Amino acid sequence: MNLSKKVACNHCHLEFDNDMMIKEGDLRFCCNGCQGVYHLLSEEGLDSFYDKAGSTKLAPPMHQLDDSSNFDSPSFYEQYVKKDPDGFSKVSLVIEGIHCSACVWLNEKALHKMDGVIEANINFTNNKATIVWADNVVKLSQIIDVIRSIGYNAFAYDSASGETYANKERKSYYLKMSVAIFASMNIMWIAVAQYAGYFTGITQEVKTILNVAEWVLATPVLFYSGWVFFRGAYYGVKTKVVNMDLLVATGALLTYIYSIYITLMEDGEAYFDSVSMIITFVLIGKFLEVLSKKNAADTLDIIGKDIPNEVKVFKDNSIVLSKLDDVNVGDIIVVGSGERVLFDGEIVKGDGNFDESSLTGESEPIYKIKGDSVVSGTTSIDADVYFRTTKDFEHSTLSNLVTLLESAINKKPKIQQMANKLSEYFSSVILALAFITFLVWWLWPHSFETSFMIGISVIVIACPCALALATPVATLVGLSLGTKKGILFKEAAQLETMAKVDTLVLDKTGTLTVGKPEVLKEHIYEEFDRSILFSFVKNSNHPISKGIMQYLDSDKEVVFDEYSQVSGQGIVAQYNGKTILGGNKKLLEKNNIDIDFRSDNSIFYFVIDSKVVAIYELKDKVKKDAKNLVKQLSKKGVACIMLTGDNGKIAKSVADEVGLKEYYYSQTPEDKSEFIAKLKKDGKTIVMVGDGVNDVLALANADISIVMGSGSDIAVDISDVVLLNDSLKSLSDAFKISSTTFGLIKQNLAISLVYNAITIPLAMAGYVIPLVAAISMSVSSLLVVGNSMRIRYKWNRN
Amino acid sequence: MSDWVIAMMLGASIFLGAVALVAFLWAIKNGQFDDEEKFLNGAKFDNEDDLNDAVNLERKKEELKKNYRPE
Repeated sequence: MNLSKKVACNHCHLEFDNDMMIKEGDLRFCCNGCQGVYHLLSEEGLDSFYDKAGSTKLAPPMHQLDDSSNFDSPSFYEQYVKKDPDGFSKVSLVIEGIHCSACVWLNEKALHKMDGVIEANINFTNNKATIVWADNVVKLSQIIDVIRSIGYNAFAYDSASGETYANKERKSYYLKMSVAIFASMNIMWIAVAQYAGYFTGITQEVKTILNVAEWVLATPVLFYSGWVFFRGAYYGVKTKVVNMDLLVATGALLTYIYSIYITLMEDGEAYFDSVSMIITFVLIGKFLEVLSKKNAADTLDIIGKDIPNEVKVFKDNSIVLSKLDDVNVGDIIVVGSGERVLFDGEIVKGDGNFDESSLTGESEPIYKIKGDSVVSGTTSIDADVYFRTTKDFEHSTLSNLVTLLESAINKKPKIQQMANKLSEYFSSVILALAFITFLVWWLWPHSFETSFMIGISVIVIACPCALALATPVATLVGLSLGTKKGILFKEAAQLETMAKVDTLVLDKTGTLTVGKPEVLKEHIYEEFDRSILFSFVKNSNHPISKGIMQYLDSDKEVVFDEYSQVSGQGIVAQYNGKTILGGNKKLLEKNNIDIDFRSDNSIFYFVIDSKVVAIYELKDKVKKDAKNLVKQLSKKGVACIMLTGDNGKIAKSVADEVGLKEYYYSQTPEDKSEFIAKLKKDGKTIVMVGDGVNDVLALANADISIVMGSGSDIAVDISDVVLLNDSLKSLSDAFKISSTTFGLIKQNLAISLVYNAITIPLAMAGYVIPLVAAISMSVSSLLVVGNSMRIRYKWNRN
Repeated sequence: MSDWVIAMMLGASIFLGAVALVAFLWAIKNGQFDDEEKFLNGAKFDNEDDLNDAVNLERKKEELKKNYRPE
């Protein structure tokens, strides 16, 4: 009978064999960490956590984390800890290990129980926490220790940047819209009474009462919710630009004043409903735009987030923490495995492998020993080294890269949206027309009152609702359609830019091709033990090694006496007294092995004791929709260009297969970005598609950057569009969506202009009665919204 | 007389609506809707304990405020 049975751990709910568990009565734990946390929680009376968590699987608590005392260091305080209005300390943390709402509850509860903690608020969606505490009662390090003791981890992030600002702005829009919508809805039902009275008769007293009620409701809408328009109009006037805000502000304000006059005179029709409607509708339109806007500061946050604010410096025979700016040229810095190198320098002690993919795109680890130079921005994989800095932080490669990226992001063209440009002319024309109408009516002797009302009716009827809604509604529909197809547009304006694109630049590996070479042909010259080759390639991370490993798929493994990787060449190993080599031609040449073998594919030579025993031909497969994409876009007149870091032969074979005429090979990351910059100078609008860190600079320089969802984090962060399913089909979908949406925006603008062209002359002639104004206003807005909804229908038909 | 009734009814209903609006605005400002997940979970999990917790926290804050001397 087999006794081993899967049992779930009482804390983390992960399942293991019963035999392996720590047993304690009826309880089962997978490790000491889980056991510790379980008892801690029940001692504290927090065991209802497990009821809340249900069967959610948690991560077992980590064993020993580094000392939390650096949370109390002055330099940490300076950067992350802020004072709240009452003088308490406040810090923003990201909590790691949150799986469910019960985790949030547990963390908050545990922190609330601590003396001195005043507030602990954890956001479930993004795992960010705000903690307020009294510094004289409890230290931050103690707070962190509590979080760690219950199985989570916390690290600080700088919240002072764009994020808080964006949240604040969004919140202020929520407040303003709530007021506007509340008041408008109430005004609407009062207006129903007004219109009913207009047709069936109403006494002047009741009318005045209704007017006063509307007045009370419209006032906060105009001056609180509509404040953004007054502010916008003010800045517009200051910079001598007639903008939409000015039209909305003057229109609403004049209508408001006129309506007050009517109410007090107790004669005629008041238009308070128009005032609140205009403000509410346009405010919603504005909010939709704000919502879809990506914050450039957000992006920079993400690049900077991995840069710690302190490094370990070796001074006077001991390791001390020092701030980045305090490190001088010539200081010795200590880097452990898994840590990021922040300074450029030369190794003085130790050795190990470094991952330089973030700078070169080379995915193979590079082995470095004493005397080799280390570059900032790279990551130590298994190296524990001491190195002497050759540059200070400000001039290091890493901070140069960050600066380059920053400037590239800031330089991104601010797209002047078509609707904005149009509305500028539109606003000036309407204001002028209204004024002329007023003058003409007044001089052709009519009472001031009548002429003023007709002048205002021109502004009211030209209600910018339709115009203001034209763009946001269409883009919103486009964006949601994209999301359904796995295309994430980070900013609405990109739809418009993308529709105008004339050049598409593609990265090869991972974008056009799958990025995983596969073995095409195997040439065996002499029999050998396959398990040697399998173990040989298994220890390497290079894509070629992985391809061969997949091809062989052996289950036997051997252990080598010696094993090392030679960057850009291959692997060298010792096994049972035999020297084993595996790699490209360069490695053979270096070892004086001569062989004549030609192929257009990547070649892997396998050599035992100076004799070539096998040759593998590998090829990276082209993605299946690549050819279609190039064909479609070429038809549309978009030039397609491929850039690759690989050699000419491989580049040519991929380009031929896909049908690309223009391609450039052996490109470094800098070459790529220069290439983009040059195209831009020639007046091209460029979409760059890539996936790796080595494309980041080029991506940042392009008008629109598109990144495969499986790409590196930084690339995804700085990109404008993310293709979640990595397929080139969605890339062509993205093009289609953007051009459809852009067409829709144009139609919407046309509709609202035609509407105005018909109604404005009527208003100028004095034919517009309030009922007509109200109805036509809603109809024009509905037309625009309805037209935008058509995009789905149109898409399904295609 | 009927005019007076209309005015009173209008005033009363708008006032009541405004009270609800102010409560809603207060909740937004207070950050109660910042995290939609939490706000929805609140309906599932909140119980007497949590209310007591919130009150205790307020009291703790007041007490600390009294004795607190920022350095």
